[in-house]
Amino acid sequence: MRRALRRLRGRRRRVLTAAALTAAAGLAVGVAGTVGFSLATGYDRAAQRTDQPDVLGRFAPQRLSVLRERLDRLPNVEAISYRLEVNRVRLAANGQSKRNGAVHVVRPGRRGYGVVAGRDLGSRAGEALVERGVAEEWKLQVGDRIDVGGLGSLRIAGIALSVDNVAFPLATVPRIYVSEAEISRRFGADANPGVNLALVWLADPSRLDITLAAARPAVFGLRTEQLLTKRAVRQVIDQAAGIVIALLAVFGLVACACAGVMLAAASAAEVRRRAPALGVQRALGATRGAVVGDETLDAVLVAAPAAALGLGVGALAAAGPTANLLGFLNEVAPGSALLWPLAGAFAGLVTVAAAGAAWPAWRLNRKAVSELLRGGDLATGPAKRRRVPSGGLFGLGARFAFARRGRWTSTISALAVAGAAMLLVLAVADLLVSLRDDPGTLGRRYALTVPGEQRDARTIARIPGVAAAAQRSTVEAADSFSLTEPLRVIAYPGDHVPFEAPPLAEGRRLAADGEVEVGLGLADTLGLRPGSELAIQPAGSGELRFRVVGIVRALENDGRVVYARTARLRDADPSLGGPIAIRLASGADRADVVRRLDAAGFESSATGGATPRNRSFLGVLASVLRAVALAIGLVCLAAILQTLALTTRDRRRALAVMRATGAPPGALAAVLTGTAAALIVPAVVLAVLLQRFVLGPIVAELAASYATLPLGVGATGILLVGGGLAAIGAVAVLVVTRAATREPVAAGIERDD
Amino acid sequence: MIERLRALLAAAAATVLLAACGADAGPPAPGSTLQATLRDADGDGALERGPAAPLRDRTELGAPAPSTRTLATLGIISDAHVRDEESPARVPFLDRFGSPVDSTFRPQEALSAQVLDASVRAVRSQRPDALIVAGDLADNAQANELDLALTVLRGGRARPDSGAPGYDGVQRASNADPLFYRPDTDAPRHPGLLERAQRPFGAAGVGVPILPVAGNHDLLVQGELPPDARTREIATGDRMVTELRERPKLPDGSSSGAQRVAAIRAILAGPQLGPSRRVAPDTARRELRAGEVVERLRDAAGVPGSSASLDYAADVGADLRVLTLDAVDRAGGSGGAVSAAQVRWLRGEIARAGSRAVIVATHQPLRSSRGGEAVLALLDQSPAIVATLSGHTHRHRIAPRRTASGGYWEIETASLADHPQQARMLRLVSTRGGGRALETWVVDHDGAGLAGIARELAFLDVQGGRPRNLGAGRNDRNVRLGLPAR
Repeated sequence: MRRALRRLRGRRRRVLTAAALTAAAGLAVGVAGTVGFSLATGYDRAAQRTDQPDVLGRFAPQRLSVLRERLDRLPNVEAISYRLEVNRVRLAANGQSKRNGAVHVVRPGRRGYGVVAGRDLGSRAGEALVERGVAEEWKLQVGDRIDVGGLGSLRIAGIALSVDNVAFPLATVPRIYVSEAEISRRFGADANPGVNLALVWLADPSRLDITLAAARPAVFGLRTEQLLTKRAVRQVIDQAAGIVIALLAVFGLVACACAGVMLAAASAAEVRRRAPALGVQRALGATRGAVVGDETLDAVLVAAPAAALGLGVGALAAAGPTANLLGFLNEVAPGSALLWPLAGAFAGLVTVAAAGAAWPAWRLNRKAVSELLRGGDLATGPAKRRRVPSGGLFGLGARFAFARRGRWTSTISALAVAGAAMLLVLAVADLLVSLRDDPGTLGRRYALTVPGEQRDARTIARIPGVAAAAQRSTVEAADSFSLTEPLRVIAYPGDHVPFEAPPLAEGRRLAADGEVEVGLGLADTLGLRPGSELAIQPAGSGELRFRVVGIVRALENDGRVVYARTARLRDADPSLGGPIAIRLASGADRADVVRRLDAAGFESSATGGATPRNRSFLGVLASVLRAVALAIGLVCLAAILQTLALTTRDRRRALAVMRATGAPPGALAAVLTGTAAALIVPAVVLAVLLQRFVLGPIVAELAASYATLPLGVGATGILLVGGGLAAIGAVAVLVVTRAATREPVAAGIERDD
Repeated sequence: MIERLRALLAAAAATVLLAACGADAGPPAPGSTLQATLRDADGDGALERGPAAPLRDRTELGAPAPSTRTLATLGIISDAHVRDEESPARVPFLDRFGSPVDSTFRPQEALSAQVLDASVRAVRSQRPDALIVAGDLADNAQANELDLALTVLRGGRARPDSGAPGYDGVQRASNADPLFYRPDTDAPRHPGLLERAQRPFGAAGVGVPILPVAGNHDLLVQGELPPDARTREIATGDRMVTELRERPKLPDGSSSGAQRVAAIRAILAGPQLGPSRRVAPDTARRELRAGEVVERLRDAAGVPGSSASLDYAADVGADLRVLTLDAVDRAGGSGGAVSAAQVRWLRGEIARAGSRAVIVATHQPLRSSRGGEAVLALLDQSPAIVATLSGHTHRHRIAPRRTASGGYWEIETASLADHPQQARMLRLVSTRGGGRALETWVVDHDGAGLAGIARELAFLDVQGGRPRNLGAGRNDRNVRLGLPAR
């Protein structure tokens, strides 16, 4: 160990450069890993923390005894708690107010929410719990007061977290909790508010299907509005940000892999550079194993502290924005649980660095000592005359880069991967924007919606600029044969293609009332193909059977969608409604159509995308992406810096001669610019290819295999990444030139390293 | 050393079990809850093997002394409700309307014959001297149901299918009505179950005398309605009603049999019958006249007689007489009814029993039957009575009835139709000091094959024995019942 430390002290600057590169890779992994792990596990963590029930049943208000008598019959039930949800209550606090608040009247028993600050509802009068999203948005703290409709002013006893929806304000309804005792105190002991929510915890959640199947006859006759399983809740959250989470989580994985490749390439380059030194060791009698062991130990000693530092900084940098993002989704940051993946990442980085040193050292040591003494990869055979671009000093710099083939290859590999990762960041950002703004990403062709009935559609269709109008109904349901699989039915009275038409992956478009097209996500889950029968179980009504005729690549609802005609759904539920979807005529002025609709008495809304438009939410997303991009940029900077520094070291004598013959610092910069360009230009080309054919398809497939995500490479992205790498290269040239010109000319001529 | 210790422990355990079962009984056979029970300890809706449930002493009528000799052993099964689940006479859709109607549909209903067969095998393994069938052997008074059930009891080739070959009932996968469990598609999935349920199978039979008791479902349509031309037309016809147009006005449990009959006839006759579907007609579904049912059951018992009521006496060994009373109200309604003539007959039979212990078996418990008070008053006066047996409630129950002469035990046995699908063994033993006692324990069928699936489904049934706790408490199952000194 002492010898190793002595060795490292002897080449301090190179060690620092290698450490900087490792730290940068650690930073990228720290950021990406923190984002990916936090988002991928946030829901499960929150579900555990809040004791989320396995099933949330929503019924029409009724006496507790009626509901209890039915639900107590269910098998596989560990506990049931009942609540009354009262909607459209005015909530006001701290200068903010909402008229659409929800008050949950909580009865004794398991809660189904977690108290994240303060304490739970107890026997004290005049208290309420406020949901975390409301508390954060309205800047409320424990001890503050909130006005709650007819209940008046209540003291906030605690802040609660519940995972049955995204947080306010992403969810538009602010929610608070009061005890049933509070209702009795205010309205008298005889007040029987009834219940309309049942929170069901299962003894064995893996047998959820058994319980749900039994629930069908058990709740028969009760007006059941919803039976929401954990998976369905997750889908509700996914609807808000699921695709974002999937993209970022997968991106995190890809970024980690990229950092690993870059680090391995850098370690290998460092070993190759040291080929003559290895030759000296061998000439002095060191065995091949001893030499490889020394190189590996050196790499570990450099990588370990640097990786720890980079990971720590990366995790800290990403923690804030990630926690904010999780907050919007009512999820929980990993806290100390993040230490385990970070420890794994640390081990991975050190292993990569060690392997990156050991493997090339092992291979180099197969060569004769004389070859090693001549530079290993420099002198593997007779010198070949290569065509080197002319261009004076610039060309000379390029020749310097090409001369070290191994290093050049390693560096452009690292830069290409980093560039591809940056292109991916840009593609993800573009996608997020289009998911937010462009309904077309969901396959929607209608631009506006208005509340109304199908008979209004005929009136609307006659308005100039409107190409078509029809009522769009949606029904949240489950597969009747696999009740744990939620799905969404989207129905139009007639042909749905004019209004929304995700691309057809298989089969044909529906043409009759008994036919459906299903999203690929649902088809994959249920094993559906054209010709299969689909049985749908809407909450509170009978089973509906359809014949699957087409599979579509739909992004909506994680691809768990069914396109159908309205007729059968309306037979089952005559109250089925929905807004009128309006498709504009080609070239029509949307603002003009909106005005005409307004004049006709229809208040229109623009069709939304797949992600929310909430400004804070999107701001947080931007912060996360910025942190990731910054980490990758730093990796690139470190890689170019290292290569240029090594080049100036290798060519120290030549550069010193140039300076001795009167060459100004600008000439040195021109040489290094040539070297940098020889690295960056091929790296950008490779990066584009890598993103286009490898990373983009991988991320798209992993994030949403059920749809076609446009994660391609645009000209803007190429220009931005090329420009970014050029800028990073310029910074590196400046830094290295400055360092090189500080050295006395004589020192460079006198000795080499 | 360890092997020897293990052998010693095994011998000690066998000794304890022997003591628990009586002096000359062997170790409990598989299925006996004296050996192992079934329970859902973790509450996940799946039954697992649980610990043995040894006999517990019940001393309300006297502390039972150690038994010295078995005088007689009876097997008891009740409420098998062997049903033709494909019959157009079935009314599973009534479950939609809830109370007072329930369990007109059961998820395991297609497997009733297999459950009876498995239970008969379990009882047979306990080596009884006779088997009491405590009523409701059939479900809907149909000839094919009773014939199938009797075949299973006696042994022979049982053919559960009716109508067209294969299953054609409400549980078929193509039925888009989620009220009915469809094993091909719904959880817990058992693809092909219904087709397997229709296949003929060999029944071993119980191999001992069968003592059947008439139950309301044996004689009455759906246990309520005396068969008539209209119901027979439906049962043997080719149209199966699948829905009622509106919620029927159904009398509650406190209404009289006549009121219930009137309500059902109104439904059958009126415009309430909703859509129907075509099924293959089958004359084997003919609803039997009461006399025909009694005749077939009397044949099964091997007792002579020609009265319209299935009342008979049967001696089981030299020490026990079983008197069965037919409490089915021929006018309709599921409640029991006993006439004064039957009380007189009973008085005579008790007198003729001599020194034998007497057990009186009915389907409906006497305590809830019309005219039952008179019977109980008679029994209360007789020191020969050791127990009354019944079914009908689908629940295990054992309660002492204290009387001036000391008292006797009221023993009710759960059904095979609902969870826990258990039979009961009842043993009359002599005790040290010259007294007598009863030992009773319940028996699970082996759970093999279709019967095992039936038990799984019965346990999950939201209208069945699990939520209604029909398995009852420990004191209602495996107990040694002390009898007053005579």
